[in-house]
Amino acid sequence: MSVVFGLAAVIAFLGALGVVLSQRTIYSAMSLVLNMVALAVLFLLLDAQFIAAVQIIVYAGAVMVLFVFIIALLSPGAEERLRSVELRLLLGGVGAVAFTLLIGRLTLNGITVGAHGRLHGALGPFSPVAVNAHGQVQTLGDQLFTTYLLPFEVTSLLLLVAAVGAVYLSRRRRQLA
Amino acid sequence: MSGLFPGFLILSAAMFAIGAAGVLVRRNPIVVFMCIELMLNSANLALVTYARYTHTMAGQVFALIVIAVAASEVVVGLALITGVYRSGRRLDLDELSEMSE
Repeated sequence: MSVVFGLAAVIAFLGALGVVLSQRTIYSAMSLVLNMVALAVLFLLLDAQFIAAVQIIVYAGAVMVLFVFIIALLSPGAEERLRSVELRLLLGGVGAVAFTLLIGRLTLNGITVGAHGRLHGALGPFSPVAVNAHGQVQTLGDQLFTTYLLPFEVTSLLLLVAAVGAVYLSRRRRQLA
Repeated sequence: MSGLFPGFLILSAAMFAIGAAGVLVRRNPIVVFMCIELMLNSANLALVTYARYTHTMAGQVFALIVIAVAASEVVVGLALITGVYRSGRRLDLDELSEMSE
């Protein structure tokens, strides 16, 4: 378990670094795919099988294909020259390390997790054993269409607005100009 | 099993920090969008981690919703980028910073 976690975590971390540090846009996109696949493995470790499948299908499938398509279409051939980037990269790196250390400290300080590595507070009814007995997708679907119906509907509205907005933004503007 | 809990959270924080640094550092808008995806992904990881370790379902439901939000954000963002590209400008955020038509 922890071997798989370590491996997937290292791959996800390297993928994240590759997104930011790659010189060519297409390498950034490939690093992001690597990161997302590693994240799907981590979701499987966290007993979230449906989220892992959606991660692969929607992110690594649809979203990244869209990214690669746009990169190929626009072909920003002249890649970012590192003219003043060194100072920025240094500042960004220092900020990232500081933020990670801060969150790590907050995670381990005994507020969220006690010294024995367990969360404080009462646990909910959805233990992995109970969820898997009922079916992971069934439980998620039950929750999505009962307790979380309003966020679900708002999301559908958001998707509609995004589709309309994308069509509006990407049509030809001949009659407007 | 719960010994891995801080590991997941620290990985999530590290990914978020790398994505945020990328948004601030990079000038190519496509890479900036990918960094935003990275940040949303790290938020998903934290949500699912808490859902698993508190034995609740809310984190997974909202991870699903975050994925939908990220997909629609990418669609609109890439439409904007193609619009900027078609208007004949270079795809460089430093040069596009005034955001004027």
